[in-house]
Amino acid sequence: MTTLLQQIANGLVLGATIGLIAVGYTMVYGIIQLINFAHGEIFMTGAFGGLAVWRFVPGVKDMDWYFALPLMLVGGVVVSVTIAVLMERFAYRPLRNAPRLAPLITALGVSIGLQEAVRIWFPDADRSQSFPREFVKTQVSIGPIEVPATGLLLIAVSIALGALVQFYINKSRLGRAMRATSQDPDTARLMGVNPDRVIVLTFVIGAILAGVAGVLYGMHVQTLGVRAGFQNGIFAFTAAVLGGIGSLPGAVVGAFVIGMVKTLGGQYLPGGTQYDYVWIFVVLILVLVFRPQGLFGESEKVRA
Amino acid sequence: MSRLTAMVPRTLGRPLSAIGGLLLLIAALLPWATFVLNEGAYPEKSTLQFFDAPFELTGFRWHLLLFGVAALVVTFVPLPSKGRVLRAVGWGGLAISLVNAVFITSEGGGIGAITAADGNFAFGSIVGFIGGLALIFGSAGIGLAEIPRLPDLPRVVEYLVLLVAFAATLWLVSETLTAGGSAGVSSPYAGAVFLAFLGMAGGLLGALHGVGVTGWISQMSERHRAFSVIVLLVCAAALPFTSAGTQYWMNVAGTVGIYAATAIGLNIVVGLAGLLDLGYVAFMGIGAFVSANLSGAAAAKLGITLPFPVAAVIAAVIVGVFGVIVGSPTLRVRGDYLAIVTLAFGEIFTRSAQNNVGDLTGGANAIPSIPPIAVGGLQFNEPIDLFGTKLPSGVMYYFLITLLVALVMAVFANLKNSRIGRAWIAIREDEDVARAMGIKTGKMKILAFLTGSMLAGLAGAVFAHKLGTASYDAFTFLQSVTLLAAVILGGMGSIPGAVMGAALLFVLPEKLREFEDYRLLLFGLALILIMRFRPQGLVPDRLRRAEFAGETPDGKPIEEVEEQAVLEHEHELESSKGSKA
Repeated sequence: MTTLLQQIANGLVLGATIGLIAVGYTMVYGIIQLINFAHGEIFMTGAFGGLAVWRFVPGVKDMDWYFALPLMLVGGVVVSVTIAVLMERFAYRPLRNAPRLAPLITALGVSIGLQEAVRIWFPDADRSQSFPREFVKTQVSIGPIEVPATGLLLIAVSIALGALVQFYINKSRLGRAMRATSQDPDTARLMGVNPDRVIVLTFVIGAILAGVAGVLYGMHVQTLGVRAGFQNGIFAFTAAVLGGIGSLPGAVVGAFVIGMVKTLGGQYLPGGTQYDYVWIFVVLILVLVFRPQGLFGESEKVRA
Repeated sequence: MSRLTAMVPRTLGRPLSAIGGLLLLIAALLPWATFVLNEGAYPEKSTLQFFDAPFELTGFRWHLLLFGVAALVVTFVPLPSKGRVLRAVGWGGLAISLVNAVFITSEGGGIGAITAADGNFAFGSIVGFIGGLALIFGSAGIGLAEIPRLPDLPRVVEYLVLLVAFAATLWLVSETLTAGGSAGVSSPYAGAVFLAFLGMAGGLLGALHGVGVTGWISQMSERHRAFSVIVLLVCAAALPFTSAGTQYWMNVAGTVGIYAATAIGLNIVVGLAGLLDLGYVAFMGIGAFVSANLSGAAAAKLGITLPFPVAAVIAAVIVGVFGVIVGSPTLRVRGDYLAIVTLAFGEIFTRSAQNNVGDLTGGANAIPSIPPIAVGGLQFNEPIDLFGTKLPSGVMYYFLITLLVALVMAVFANLKNSRIGRAWIAIREDEDVARAMGIKTGKMKILAFLTGSMLAGLAGAVFAHKLGTASYDAFTFLQSVTLLAAVILGGMGSIPGAVMGAALLFVLPEKLREFEDYRLLLFGLALILIMRFRPQGLVPDRLRRAEFAGETPDGKPIEEVEEQAVLEHEHELESSKGSKA
């Protein structure tokens, strides 16, 4: 029973990380129908940005965690947002009217390129980096299990940011522009919306969440490699599809389900943790084949 | 660049081109490095002075000299499409100069290496670069006339021309393979030499294209298809007898051949049927593991040893079954979603193989010591004597793989021009319309996956035996992306494109060992740039090229043709009105 509860807690923490990434995935897909493979890399560069603040900004190491952590978060978010904006401007925007396969392959190229760029140019990044956690060592006991405080922080931030973005998109002027653009970019343009600006904004929001997720995730698992982005990116995409692509609450819920599948599957299904990835991909295939609109998605639209 | 070149006035075209040609010629005769680089003289006779020994030029300086002379001649000779030729030569010269300038600068530790240092000067690369630029701008001034159509000739003469063309291709391939030698201690400058050679080859091909020779030859080879196929096969079989006939290059050529065959198989799925597959290499992997297990490898769980052909056929069939399974979601899933499903299948395969699923894949230990293919006592991994020439080991695999590529090409070409192939293309263009036209889209899509996967399985079986091991890390997501990139780089739906793409993507890493660390970075950048600037690929399929250029398949602009049609229609209407009145 303790094992089960512990695995559920682990699953929730993993789900929170994936959820923060999945929001970006689902928003970008919702607005320009692009599977942004490189979104996982935004998450990864965000984490490295946070690590860079810790390592290279003098004085950060001696600060209390409530000063150091926000600084690292800011560093991570700045890096991830910069990269996302550059990516949109130079890789995706020129291809907006290209055949469907072109942006997808570009995204693969961006993903590989970013991984390698970080590996080559970030000091020592060719092996896994240890991520500092000196300032949040606390373990919180909940009943019979213990959860690291970083894990609880991840869950709280994930839900809070998810709700905030949802609120922003539903209530604000730019949110309305975003929804309009995703429904029909041409008509939105006629109504005075600038689609380019809206699309950049979408990338930026996604990148903020991914950057935050990156720093918190690094702090939680304490190690960081350049391949972390790709794996978590695929998980996040699975979550977005599971929840119904384009739906924010769907992405977050989907992410928690995926987190559960991975930890519980690793614990209870044959093959153990070596096969936990496999179960996620099995879920992905089953969802895509039998319920492509996802759990929360609208009924299937005809897409070319 | 095009905005800049558009500003060149007509009158400046010829003088600029002449200057460019002259500069290329001078650059070839100038010194290129102010001092001898640490790892040996580069380029050979790097400090050769102006006109010291004009006939002792070798390597890229010799090519540059030829380019310069050719540019000068073409500038003053009445040739209809000289602008195109000059542009190609200019880009070639520019590439050669740039590659060497960058390389000498980085190797020599500073800009002094290509300008002036210690009382020596070496402006070769800079002069060459400017010459290339001048040619590009000059060609813009001259203007890009339409590529001329060369005349049809009597049959025998055309056969001769084809023979010469294919022999030249063979020479170019063997030279390209061996340019710079194999990277490593013996030839530390392999990467630079090879890239410079590629620049030369690109310039040469572009110039030939500009004169209309390549189009002419491709039309001829289409007219005499059987003859060309035979000659091409003979040429491929002749490669071991050229300077590329060493064990090392036979190995590389064999590997490239296997990936080329797989890329053509992938081309069926992606290029013809338009189904993006991101886990294709898994089929190759399954083929490799199945054939390894059936051929009595030491670590194989099944204790049976079947002869290679039987094992290969069984492998292909089993892979085909997997192909149908992976393809079945296509019945319900489309486009990007399908890409993700195939990616998921690919990842499941990699994970399972890594964890030694069912003791069949050896996990991290791989399946070692798969026995080599043997036919009638002839072991394929041993050197052989043929026509009195001693051929290195690996050459038998090369021959086998050549046959495999030929087989895959034949399957592809026949399918493409059949009812099935047309159905695939229709599905690629618009699935709903294809269905409305009476094509059974579900059946056709599964068939595409079945064919593609079986070809990959066959290639995988040969791959495992050639390598002697089957390991999961040869079949990961990155390989899938590389294969896909090969197909796209070459041009979707085109056979020469797939072969060329595979050759480029799998030879380049061999050549650029010293840039090993940057290999994947460059690969990622290349993907982005290709999609940005040449999404139709290097050797696009005829129909697709027309589609991207907004032209009909015979090369007329679509708008013109449509206008023509409208005019004709109106004319008809008027004349019919007139006849009524």
